[in-house]
Amino acid sequence: MIELQDVTFVHQNGVRALDGVSLKIDSGETVGIVGENGAGKTTLVKHVTGLLKPTSGKVLVDGKSTGETSTAQLSRKVGVAFQNPDHQLFSESVEEEMAFALRNFGFPAELVEQRVTWGLGLFGLEEYRKSSPLVLSGGEKKRLTLACILAWDPEVVILDEPTVGQDSIQKEKLAGTIRMLASSGKTVVVVSHDIEFLWPVQPRVVVMKAGRIVGDGPASRIMQDRDILDSARVAQPQLVEFYQSLRARPGKPFVDPLDARRWLEGGGGK
Amino acid sequence: MMWLSQGFIFRRGTSVYHRIDPRVKLLISVLLFVTVLLVRSLYELTGILVFMVTIAAVATVLRRVARTMAFTALFSAFIFVLNFVFTRNAETSLLYAARFIAIVVSTSLFFITTSPDELEQVMKTFRLPRDVIFAFVTAVRFIPVMFLDTIQIMDAQKSRGLELEKGNVIRRVRNMIPVLIPLVVNSVVRSGELAEAMESRAYGAVARPTSLVEYKSSLSDRAVAIAAVVMFALTAYSFYYILPSAVL
Amino acid sequence: MADILEIEDLSFRYPDSPRQTVAEFSLNVPEGEIVVLAGPSGCGKSTLLRAVNGLIPHMYSGEYSGHVRVGGADVKESTMRDLAQKVGFLFQNPENQIFMFTVERDVAFGLENLGVPRPEMRARVDEAMRLLDIGALAQRAPYELSDGQKQRVALAGVLAMKPKLVILDEPTSLLDPKTAAELVDLVASLRKNLGTTFVVVEHRLDLLVKVADRLVVMNEGRKVMEGSPKKILFGENAESYGVTVPSVTRLQKMLSVDGLVSQDELMAPARLAEALGGRGK
Repeated sequence: MIELQDVTFVHQNGVRALDGVSLKIDSGETVGIVGENGAGKTTLVKHVTGLLKPTSGKVLVDGKSTGETSTAQLSRKVGVAFQNPDHQLFSESVEEEMAFALRNFGFPAELVEQRVTWGLGLFGLEEYRKSSPLVLSGGEKKRLTLACILAWDPEVVILDEPTVGQDSIQKEKLAGTIRMLASSGKTVVVVSHDIEFLWPVQPRVVVMKAGRIVGDGPASRIMQDRDILDSARVAQPQLVEFYQSLRARPGKPFVDPLDARRWLEGGGGK
Repeated sequence: MMWLSQGFIFRRGTSVYHRIDPRVKLLISVLLFVTVLLVRSLYELTGILVFMVTIAAVATVLRRVARTMAFTALFSAFIFVLNFVFTRNAETSLLYAARFIAIVVSTSLFFITTSPDELEQVMKTFRLPRDVIFAFVTAVRFIPVMFLDTIQIMDAQKSRGLELEKGNVIRRVRNMIPVLIPLVVNSVVRSGELAEAMESRAYGAVARPTSLVEYKSSLSDRAVAIAAVVMFALTAYSFYYILPSAVL
Repeated sequence: MADILEIEDLSFRYPDSPRQTVAEFSLNVPEGEIVVLAGPSGCGKSTLLRAVNGLIPHMYSGEYSGHVRVGGADVKESTMRDLAQKVGFLFQNPENQIFMFTVERDVAFGLENLGVPRPEMRARVDEAMRLLDIGALAQRAPYELSDGQKQRVALAGVLAMKPKLVILDEPTSLLDPKTAAELVDLVASLRKNLGTTFVVVEHRLDLLVKVADRLVVMNEGRKVMEGSPKKILFGENAESYGVTVPSVTRLQKMLSVDGLVSQDELMAPARLAEALGGRGK
């Protein structure tokens, strides 16, 4: 579905934001991309929809190179939710805002209306239909931008730091949305430094450092690899750290490791 | 866009010219500007241009000045054509066109070698009101930020299907609305946040704020200033009294 | 020692708002404490902070009742000039609180505004930059700095004013976890070395619980919970107020119900494992 082949990207000032990155994401996968600020996560995302073109290497979406089409066209298939909703809200009303992308993509009028209503309902924003998007709270704005994307039903949804500034209730809802997307067959990519948020989602984890991919595998394996995590300055989920410390103790642990494993996989236990 | 950035945006440098007191740099650019206005033949103009290019070389900004000249030449070509159509005189048309380039270079020399801090110092010397100076400094400080914001906004809107590169002029202008509105809104929000931060750091508490850095002009700066005035006087004199009889 | 911050029954309503943003809020903070203020989005935290440093009522007007006293002086009766020297405010977005074109001049900003004489200003700026370890950045321009560095520059500018109380509004929200942890450690060491009191609004409690003396939870403008971090996080309702209880704490709570560990202290993952392991079954 999405493939980066040995992609290198060098900024005008000589900084290598991506250095020989190769990555393949299949349809229906849920992937978490982690790494410290400056590791290249957002740069990588921007290459997927052609916002940035590689200095060398190729980026393919559904087999076609990103150099051959415009970002607008690629976005029909790959929806990207950027971190700052204030960089995109501009319409007179929330419903106009939701219709914007749909109209750009050529949806007929009745379908636009249908999708807008669906999106507003899904995210509990129906009451704001006629309000200006600019008066919504931070959390509501974030939900709106996500609703806008889901309205055009892209096959791939990429979320760039979706948990920034969100309280725990909002994060729960977000995790639920991601699960819903994944179970309906969409490819979901989440770029986040919030490891605790990603852990219960149990995605495939790609670890980035200084423009390179230094780890790629299932969350349960990658998150236990302290070497990779430390070198990339990525924190370990607390429960994983607990489990590893428990396993490392001499003698029989007071707690049945099977229970610990269950907590580990349950991602928090409730 | 590129033209503005090449010709007028400051970038750090360590050359001798950079280190001259900004007020003297301003003086030099003003004198150059006036000299350009005084020229009446292409010989004189070429002389000035060569001189300015030499300054650019000393200031290690030759490449940028060259690029500025190249970009300005595009506008100049238009001036040339316009003049030629009306006067049918190639030489004067060329003079006007080249004069435009020279004017741009003379002002550019000041801006690309003078940091916003130095600009602020110059403004203080001219006793501009504190608020005006502060607004200016803050605006300049946020230019790179707004530039980045614009790119991010365009990225976000492109990702919603907005085609910024297609369509006729009218279409393209209309397509800028989804970029301009967030930009303006963000600027307004930013101003509000800046106001809060300013208040919280006692802006306006005292009528005459003190300054961390002191700007004193040195003897060499004054020497340069005097040299500049003398050169200007000699040049103006030669344009009006010596050269006309020798050349024209 | 007197309390550095006394909020007494504060209520505030913005002019065009149908309800009170802060309602009958009271809080006393002794000098040298680190207090964390949490609560769901929209609960009034930001408004409360602004009532402490004086932006409310001096910059924002509205229906104001109750009292806020910083270092004994009533905020409503003081000028912003005085308040700026008592209360420092670090805003959420590091970008929008750095004004000047070079770092050291921005750190001096507040002092220039107060008309502090140059030699003293120089000393205080150098000291603030030393405390935040940004001396090497003195001549840099803001666009050359990372977010973490910008945060430090802004904080240096605040500390140069020598406030007794510093308020931080979600200081780590834009930082990655490691940089955020560094900032938290910095806050703790500043408290230790300078005796500065800190009030921090944060969602990311896992970083702050180690250093916080007290946790206050707000909801809909009111104080709903107050106590040691331990008491709040082990308590029943924290999560319903949008407070992110760290995973390891949830686990510790579960295990303590079965009697396997105590609730004497909030344990980090390794410590929790230590408390459990090696005792055999």
